[in-house]
Amino acid sequence: MTSVSLAATGIELSFGTQAVLRGVDLDVPAATTTAIIGPSGSGKSTFLRTLNRLYEPDRGDILLDGRSVLDDNPDQLRQRIGMVFQQFNLFPHRSVLDNVMLGPRKLKGLSVDAARELALTQLDRVGLRNKAGARPGTLSGGQQQRVAIARALAMAPQVMLFDEATSALDPELVKGILALITELGEGGMTMVVVTHEMGFARSAADSVVFMDRGVVVEAGPPAQMFEAANTDRLRQFLAQVL
Amino acid sequence: MATFLRAAATLLVALLVALICPPVPARAQVDQCAPPGVQSASALPTNLAVAAQGNGTDKYTTAGVQPLSSIRTETLGLRTPGVLTVGTLSDAPPSICIDSAGQFTGFDNELLRAIAAKLGLKINFVGTDFSGLLAQVAARRFDVGSSSITTTDARRHTVGFTNGYDFGYFSLVVPTGSSITGFSALKPGQRIGVVQGTVQEAYVIDTLHLEPVKFPDYNTVYANVKTRQIDAWVAPSQQAQGAVGPNDPARIVENTFSLDNFVAYAVAKENRPLIDALNSGLDAVIADGTWSRLYSQWVPRALPPGWKPGSKAAPLPQLPDFAAIAAARGPSSSGGAAPKSTLAQLKDTFLDWDLYRRAIPVLLTTGLPNTLILTLCASVIGLIIGMCLAVAGISASRWLRWPARVYTDIFRGLPEVVIILLVGLGIGPVVGSLTGNSPYPLGIAALGLMAGAYIGEILRSGIQSVESGQLEASRALGFSYPSSMRLVVIPQGIRRVLPALVNQFISLLKASSLVYFLGLIASQRELFQVGRDLNAQTGNLSPLVAAGLFYLALTVPLTHLVNYIDRRLSHGKPAVELEVTQ
Repeated sequence: MTSVSLAATGIELSFGTQAVLRGVDLDVPAATTTAIIGPSGSGKSTFLRTLNRLYEPDRGDILLDGRSVLDDNPDQLRQRIGMVFQQFNLFPHRSVLDNVMLGPRKLKGLSVDAARELALTQLDRVGLRNKAGARPGTLSGGQQQRVAIARALAMAPQVMLFDEATSALDPELVKGILALITELGEGGMTMVVVTHEMGFARSAADSVVFMDRGVVVEAGPPAQMFEAANTDRLRQFLAQVL
Repeated sequence: MATFLRAAATLLVALLVALICPPVPARAQVDQCAPPGVQSASALPTNLAVAAQGNGTDKYTTAGVQPLSSIRTETLGLRTPGVLTVGTLSDAPPSICIDSAGQFTGFDNELLRAIAAKLGLKINFVGTDFSGLLAQVAARRFDVGSSSITTTDARRHTVGFTNGYDFGYFSLVVPTGSSITGFSALKPGQRIGVVQGTVQEAYVIDTLHLEPVKFPDYNTVYANVKTRQIDAWVAPSQQAQGAVGPNDPARIVENTFSLDNFVAYAVAKENRPLIDALNSGLDAVIADGTWSRLYSQWVPRALPPGWKPGSKAAPLPQLPDFAAIAAARGPSSSGGAAPKSTLAQLKDTFLDWDLYRRAIPVLLTTGLPNTLILTLCASVIGLIIGMCLAVAGISASRWLRWPARVYTDIFRGLPEVVIILLVGLGIGPVVGSLTGNSPYPLGIAALGLMAGAYIGEILRSGIQSVESGQLEASRALGFSYPSSMRLVVIPQGIRRVLPALVNQFISLLKASSLVYFLGLIASQRELFQVGRDLNAQTGNLSPLVAAGLFYLALTVPLTHLVNYIDRRLSHGKPAVELEVTQ
């Protein structure tokens, strides 16, 4: 798998009269991890959803590997960009294995056997091969999130987006998921991680973006962002969360 | 489970009580739909009230008729060439009824059979409801309406009539011991029963200026007389004489009649050729004595002075001297028997084992399959329509949302009967060539259209209850909106509303009984209609109770299925080791 870069320029988006994103830029070089931090309501999650066009931006451009993707078929674009949600969003009426197999089967046209093989490999990777037959509802939050990650990875995406992937987890389960995400980054995946885990942003991200009120207030390498913030707004935010 | 046990226990107790009670003494089973024979003849009623005065001149009976040989059957505008399709009723013996073999018969229908034979036509009887009969004849759903129909000016606005083949007395039936002795004794404040849409209803309102209590059929109104729920019943004499048995707690106290309003067959107004042909056939069966034979068999009564059947040119029928026969038979035994206790009366009416034995085979072989076919087919249609409505209802486009909304509002807002009549009588003629003029598919369509509206709302609420994250996750994987709905959202939505869907199925099962409004041939009758026909034949409610038990046998397990699903949905099902589905 070759890594690709991801960039967004001047993204604007309004819901009705409310401007949620007011010109957001982002540059994620290939095989790097960018963490997006910021207070609730700052537009982080909304911005993340414009990257795979779950929300179509009103203005601005999304570039994958240097090429605009706004004219692509959005369904095909999303097959190249994996996404993991705060609430896991596993399909509760299907088994764990079916959750992971569904995309490869129906979207990539794999045979049942090939899809099952692939799904079991991905479940192995997140340590849950033994839960393949279980219903998602019977798993712990941490296990559910691992399945969700396996489900996204089964589509062999070029970019992974994480939307507060650990916020709904019990504290003791957070570490394991963060380790899994870190491992993924070290394997060369281009990733954008919206997170409240400052420790993770500091240690695992190659660069950190601080958003507030629909704009990027400050961005830079983690060391600079956490040790020598340029703006009062970021210093204030860090003082509150650290 | 507790409710189920309780219900079972109740049923058991009821059965025991019924068994312990001494069996009904074997009494001759009266089939009200068999010809009573000439021995049952009655003279002109002695207690005949002054006839309601009309304009006195009969301006409708034709002077003569075309010769039979000049009639060409291809010009008669029949629905099916060569076949006379007749709408009739099952519940008014001896004029019109369905016999124990499931054949439509009675004086009117046998006479019509003879007329059809004269014309060289086959005949096909279809059972319907009186309230819809004339409209169905006018809409050419039937070629002829045969239901002891008294011709009135109001009815002539809707349909045309043949010459008269019978006449109608009205009888006043009251519970034994009532102080009401005649029509003149009827007063405001009394509950006077009539069958809706009949001449008797008009008579009570227009001539007596009283407000009647309206019933759907003769059996129901008579059951109300017997149980003293009403004070009097203004009945067609044939029905009154057929219904009031010697041991019944009711009596006929007075009769009245009107010469202007003879009884005739109804035909669509514009179908003059068929009216002329039937008139010719009627005169022919009068001339060859068939009319007299059938009349003597089925409805032997002295003719009122100044009236004869057929056209003005028809010969006077040769009849036995009914008055003499009646006199020779001696005074009727009515009133002689000691009145039964209310409890015995109830047991006779509801728990006649003989009738259960007769009803159950027919319910099983005819009623049950038809009820299931109607319900299952309508459910499939309802599910398809409902799914479309649900998807349209949550669509972003108002051009999908709006029609779905309007459809749902209309079909949920109308009573079931109205929908069935609108679809059956309104759309029926338009699609007649597709359905082969059978109301059966129309009944299914009407039920399906109606169910669709309810199912659509159920499914919509189910689909909308699925968290938005499910759709988002599916779209994020790369599934299109339709695929996401199909694979992820709708299956979850349906699971959540399964109990509501089963309840809807139960409603539909019960609503399927309304299809009888459209007119069914004997083999198409569903549970309710089978029970109702046997009830009409015997005047006993046991067949209806038997039909009710069949409904319970279907609906009670379904209700418990709902509870089971409910429990499983809330507790989840036990974990399965490795389950792989496609």
